[in-house]
Amino acid sequence: MTTTLRRVPPVVWVFLAVPAAVELGMVFWPALNSFYLSFTQWNGLGAAKPVGLDNFRALGSDEIFLGALKNNVLWAVGFGGLSVLTGLALAVALNRPRRGVGLYRSAIYLPMVFSLAVTGLFWRVQYQPDGTINTVLGGLGLGGWEKQWLADPDTALWAVLVAAVWRQAGYVMVLYLAGLKSTDPSLDDASAVDGASPWQRFRFVTWPQLRGVNTVVFAVTVIDSLRTFDIVWAMTQGGPYHSSELLSTYMFQQGFTFLNLGYASAIAVVIFAMALVFIITYLVRATKNEVEA
Amino acid sequence: MISAPVSRRGFLAGLGGIGAAGILGACATGSDDSSGAASATLTLQSSLSDPDPKAALTEVVKGYAKTPVTLNTIAIETFRAQLPTYLNSGNPPDVLTWYAGSVARDYASKGFLLDLSDLWTGNGPCAGFSPALKELSTNDGKQIFVPTNWYWWGLFYKKSAFQEWGVRPAETWDEFITLCKTIKSKGVHPLTMGTGSTQWVASGWFDYLNLRVNGADFHRELLAGRHSFDDPKVKTVMDHYRQILEFIDPKGRSYSWQDAVTPLNAKKAGMYLIGAFITTAMPGDDLDFFRVPVIDKNVPLAEEAPTDGYFASAKSRNAQGAKDLIGYLAAPEQQQKFIELSKSSNLPTSSKVDTTRFSPLVQKGIKMLGESASLTQFFNRDSSDQLQTVADTALTKFLDAPEDVDKILADWQAGAKKVLGR
Repeated sequence: MTTTLRRVPPVVWVFLAVPAAVELGMVFWPALNSFYLSFTQWNGLGAAKPVGLDNFRALGSDEIFLGALKNNVLWAVGFGGLSVLTGLALAVALNRPRRGVGLYRSAIYLPMVFSLAVTGLFWRVQYQPDGTINTVLGGLGLGGWEKQWLADPDTALWAVLVAAVWRQAGYVMVLYLAGLKSTDPSLDDASAVDGASPWQRFRFVTWPQLRGVNTVVFAVTVIDSLRTFDIVWAMTQGGPYHSSELLSTYMFQQGFTFLNLGYASAIAVVIFAMALVFIITYLVRATKNEVEA
Repeated sequence: MISAPVSRRGFLAGLGGIGAAGILGACATGSDDSSGAASATLTLQSSLSDPDPKAALTEVVKGYAKTPVTLNTIAIETFRAQLPTYLNSGNPPDVLTWYAGSVARDYASKGFLLDLSDLWTGNGPCAGFSPALKELSTNDGKQIFVPTNWYWWGLFYKKSAFQEWGVRPAETWDEFITLCKTIKSKGVHPLTMGTGSTQWVASGWFDYLNLRVNGADFHRELLAGRHSFDDPKVKTVMDHYRQILEFIDPKGRSYSWQDAVTPLNAKKAGMYLIGAFITTAMPGDDLDFFRVPVIDKNVPLAEEAPTDGYFASAKSRNAQGAKDLIGYLAAPEQQQKFIELSKSSNLPTSSKVDTTRFSPLVQKGIKMLGESASLTQFFNRDSSDQLQTVADTALTKFLDAPEDVDKILADWQAGAKKVLGR
């Protein structure tokens, strides 16, 4: 052990130390500060006043926070589920080389090129009372389904979700396409010869080989869904009356509009804890399966 | 080439230094006295994001020769949400556009604003402004704001549309309800109101109904937190608000205030309670307005007359320069130039500006404000930007579910208490 250590030339240590210092200074230190701030009351001026667990206690009785928490769970499930299902289905459908398949893949990946704020603005136009969606519904004779999608508290969150999935599905598709490329086609062919149905071939031959990609997709999706902010902010700003509020938008409002930096930090800690719980649970399960297999 | 590894090490050491500086500098709660040398350029952060006012301010700023000025124009809704962050940042903009009244006082009491009292004394550019304007710009005996123009609110309508429908402006509440009913019978939405991305527009009716039912003094006290939002007097205001809900174009819930002008312009909506800034979205001679009808004759007439202007950041690196720039912007010539170029219907705060050339609409506005017993600003300006957010939630909910008014008012009071208590 010591001999291998000694063999590492000092310049490599310097190389390693530089990113470590940057990471410590720019990521970990502010993150730790945020933990500290969550136990204080601070408006950005003067010294922060320590208040113990008051912020977290206040969160427990804050209806807007609880609503945002519920929305965030719905969002994580809806956003994760829909974008993974759509992305996987698209990847499987577009996996085999066929004429024009590249065009389809690019078209589906294209929304990913736009920033979330642009996506939000684009969909806001579609959702206008006289926008494309209502016009199409009216044209199909479904005038009764026309709604003010973003102004109705029952539909606002889901309307934003559709826009977000529209963008994310292409990304997930590309990840799965890469995963499918690394599967062994001879296994698939062999099972086909053995008389397995397409569903059986996917479920028992292809799917187990995608485990590595699944871990990546899961982590990416959970993190993306918990940090969703821009698209909601661009489309509804959490409204109408907090019905599409997520933890991130509520944190932003508390932190930067109300300057309750301590309270906002407490929300940030909750977001962090949620992300950690999701990711750790999954990683533990995934590694356990790997050991068993 | 021999020296390459050395220089690379030097570079790395430098990078390491930057990382270390990051660690030291990231002390987020440390005191933040940035006493650097006076910076060479002044930053003017502007919320005037509509095309004409933006162009007008750009033109006026061009005329300032003493110090180079960087004008940052930011979409107003973003500006509103970010303003505390701007003021609180380590290197804030030197001068910012915003509003007079409680909203400016609120920021001043948090220590964010520069003392501008020099500008109001002796030969200062604001020395000739009216005592009411001075009072509006004062916090704790110090002037922290410089007003440069103001405007009025009213029920705007198209003259040609009213002629077509054979209706006339209303003076009393009963007449107003009849007017709404008549317009509705023509298949037109009597009122338009964009409360989608600009939810604060819903406060216009709240303010006016409170002014007409309970008067200006109660209104100011309510917004300062001296009365409760679930007071029976506020309930009466909401009862009146409820009477007009059926007349408001429901699509307005998805519109911004600018979008909601379109139905008015297309004669698909009859009237719009909004500020005189509507003329930037709907120019032309066809636009007219009338005073919000009287509900109780015993309540003295009050109008909303929001006042715009500038304040400077307490942490400005060039406080003297910031004051000088504000002084320049407040001078009569610049006020006149700005108002003319912005094509707005704003009124100057300096009595030295010649208003005789202003349009008949503006003359009518000046006359109406002159007849009012008292003037208020607007919900957020008479309270704070935080309390406006709470009001937005309550009022947009009320528009959707007026039958829940008791719960909405209780929630409103609870939210207000939280904001005021902090």
